[in-house]
Amino acid sequence: MDVRLPRLGEGADSGVIATVFVKEGDQVKKDQPVLEIESEKAVATIPAPAAGTVTKVMVKEGEEIKVGALILVLSENGAGAAALPPPPPRAIDASVGDDARVEPAIDVTPAPPGALLPLPGAAAGPSGFPIVHGAGAPPPASPSLRKIARELGIDLYRVRGSERGGRIVMADLRAYVQKIQRIALEGRPVPGAAPPPGAPLMSPPAAASIDFSQWGPVTKQKITTLRRSISRKMVESWTTVPHITQFDEVDVTDLLALRKKYAPKYEAKKAHLTLTSLAIHALVAALKKHPSFNASIDEAAGEIVLKNYFNIGIAVDTEAGLIVPVLRDADKKSVFQLSAELNGIAERTRARKVSLEEMQGGTFTISNQGGIGGAHFTPIVNTPEVAILGMGRSLLTPVVREGKVVQRVMMPLVLSYDHRVNDGANAARFVVDLVKEFESIKEADVRI
Amino acid sequence: MKAIKTEIVVLGAGPGGYAAAFYAADKGKKVIMVEQEKRLGGVCLNRGCIPSKAYLHAAKLITEAEESSFRGIHFEKPRVDLKQMRAWKESILDKLAGGITGLAKRRNVEVMQGRGYFEDSSTLRVETAGGQQFINFDNAIIAVGSKAAMPSAFDLGNPRVMTSTEALEIEEIPKDLLVVGGGYIGMELGTVYASLGSSIVVVEALEAILTGADPDLARPVALRAGKMFREIRVKTKVVKMATAGKQIRVNLEVGAEKKEELYDRVLVSVGRVPNCADLGLENTRVAQDEKGFIKVDEHQRTGDPAIFAVGDVAGGVLLAHKASKEARVAVEVITGELSVFEDIIIPAVVFTDPELAWCGLTESEAKQKGVSVEVAKFPWSASGRALSFDRTDGLTKLVIDPETERILGVGIVGSGAGELIGEGVLAIEMGATAKDLAESVHPHPTLSETLSECAESFYGYATHTYSRKKTTTEQ
Repeated sequence: MDVRLPRLGEGADSGVIATVFVKEGDQVKKDQPVLEIESEKAVATIPAPAAGTVTKVMVKEGEEIKVGALILVLSENGAGAAALPPPPPRAIDASVGDDARVEPAIDVTPAPPGALLPLPGAAAGPSGFPIVHGAGAPPPASPSLRKIARELGIDLYRVRGSERGGRIVMADLRAYVQKIQRIALEGRPVPGAAPPPGAPLMSPPAAASIDFSQWGPVTKQKITTLRRSISRKMVESWTTVPHITQFDEVDVTDLLALRKKYAPKYEAKKAHLTLTSLAIHALVAALKKHPSFNASIDEAAGEIVLKNYFNIGIAVDTEAGLIVPVLRDADKKSVFQLSAELNGIAERTRARKVSLEEMQGGTFTISNQGGIGGAHFTPIVNTPEVAILGMGRSLLTPVVREGKVVQRVMMPLVLSYDHRVNDGANAARFVVDLVKEFESIKEADVRI
Repeated sequence: MKAIKTEIVVLGAGPGGYAAAFYAADKGKKVIMVEQEKRLGGVCLNRGCIPSKAYLHAAKLITEAEESSFRGIHFEKPRVDLKQMRAWKESILDKLAGGITGLAKRRNVEVMQGRGYFEDSSTLRVETAGGQQFINFDNAIIAVGSKAAMPSAFDLGNPRVMTSTEALEIEEIPKDLLVVGGGYIGMELGTVYASLGSSIVVVEALEAILTGADPDLARPVALRAGKMFREIRVKTKVVKMATAGKQIRVNLEVGAEKKEELYDRVLVSVGRVPNCADLGLENTRVAQDEKGFIKVDEHQRTGDPAIFAVGDVAGGVLLAHKASKEARVAVEVITGELSVFEDIIIPAVVFTDPELAWCGLTESEAKQKGVSVEVAKFPWSASGRALSFDRTDGLTKLVIDPETERILGVGIVGSGAGELIGEGVLAIEMGATAKDLAESVHPHPTLSETLSECAESFYGYATHTYSRKKTTTEQ
């Protein structure tokens, strides 16, 4: 059986092999990890699709491979259909911006040739050109259209079809070619699926290399996959989202007292009671009142998608750079559960053991810089989400309460949001409510 | 001797060869087609598709007459004049071959009769009746086809042990005929001989006959053949054959059980082998696989950049229409088009009674590859057209991608399935969904309705069957 690199998720068409766990002749069990691949923002393990003996390893550590590439050849024990993996590999309908698009199993169907030979420059799969058709069958298009695409060198796996069943017609191919031309003329990929015609020009093409050593000694570092991916993501967000940042402060004096009281009890159960876990609790309550901040924008469909689930992304500072794992169903979890989970996921993120699934499907992100220092800052929205909450370092501050100046611990709070979805008044109301939610956390919420 | 200069030489004049020669000529190339046989058309026309279908038509006439008494129509037992029947078959082949010769002439394709042999990567030597000819070519297309395999253990030099080639001559109607191999050739020829009055035993080494098809589609064929034939034995091997007077003694193994039986004739239909011997391939860079088929890339190009191979000799499924498609790809590549043989749906038809046809992904294949599919079926017992000629033993089946509802495969068993499958090919090639098929109006009363009704049943609203309601999520 040929084992190929499965689909990794939206925009992740390739990755760099971090570790190969097996060598030729090794016996593997079904689902046993065979290699680790660094792609997008995590190191993901690729499991064996079936039990068997590794007859050939086709890749080396450090090698960059694309989805569908042959990883290894497995001779199955007691071959036959029974040993094959369960069905999952499915055609993917990418008509909506569903970012939780991960193929759970290895696709044993060889990816049709041509699928992975897209136009030059698009090989790494820039975010504007995801593969939108499953690998089970050739892209749905008539033979004559496929011929034209072949002559033009267009990879139809990346062309979204507008007809029933995702069928690609001439109009789709034309739109795709025009999009490529527009991008070529503008010098950079346009993020998002279909920018409206006459979209504003993106920033100018990357500047030519400058020899900085002419002015003094320099040290050069290779840009890592993660750094590149962060950079791409940030540019995409910065250039598509009209950002506004709302500033506020929240009185956390009582919360810190609660924390002090309960922290040891939490520690005893291997959980850290932090301002972040309390913030998630407050945030979910505020988001329930303001669903337009727990949303995404689908320009292609002309819709704002309000999400009835609350998956909170947590910006984690790792040695390699920023990684944002997602804490799922935060609305269904107590402060204690949130604290315990946060602990685990942050640790795994720092060890870069967090899976791709764990980084997808977020609805809102929190970036807490309090542990490091600093006051207000202006975070960038983690697209396709529409808002992000920043927390600064809390500081003992003289404030006026009932006509008297008193000492309170105040924490800087910032909300950056996508002005396409929310207006300033909305944001002000949201932040006011959020502050209220913070300040109304009761002992009962924290007690265990 | 001075070599004849040509742009393209095509070796072989079967459905791969003449398709290549004609298409290249239509594209303005100077073409020479070399064929060792006098009558053009290759196996398909001379010893395959066409003669077998002629005989199957005759078989159908006999069977239908026999089975008409319950309709109140009574026929005498038919008298078969084999000599006349062979002549009738030959007249069809002559007509078709004449057609090919005529078409070659009108296109200025020179047909050279003789055996071709590659001297090097740009020279073909042809042994003609009038002596040697040398052709200097820019490109060659090898389309020399395949022949029926005859394992040496069965090759007694006795004409009573036949391949499909001899069987299609129908020298006599044997009382007892053993068919070795339950593939499509064995089943089709078994049907012909059975209708002529032979008592047929089919033995197949595998677990079922017609293994390429889904079991539910092969079942009606096996059922009917089970009645027409004396016996179909699966998981059975022929160990030995020997001449025994005017009969053949055959030793069989069914599991541990050993049998010895006598047959008047034996048809060996255990596969086909490429005609690669004595072509001079060793003088070129053409490479062959372990079974002797010529290795080609997706452009039909062999290991030798000037030489292409199409059809049976290039391996894959051994079907005439696949050869013709490959021929087009090869010619387009030679004439500078960016053509590949890739993602092309090749339908398969077995002309048994009932016929069995399929294209695209089969249900078994989907299971094997782990592709998640939904299957819709429409039994012909619900088709008025099928009832009108008393053949309700048919089934139409669609293999559908549950997510996009795209049709990935079509399978049909039933009378005339071969004529119906073309619509399936079009649907798959066009990326049609089950909805597209369901919403296209099909004429009543015809068997083609089984396709649209099958698609309707996928959504739970076929007029002529009742199926559970499907909750569709329409976008």
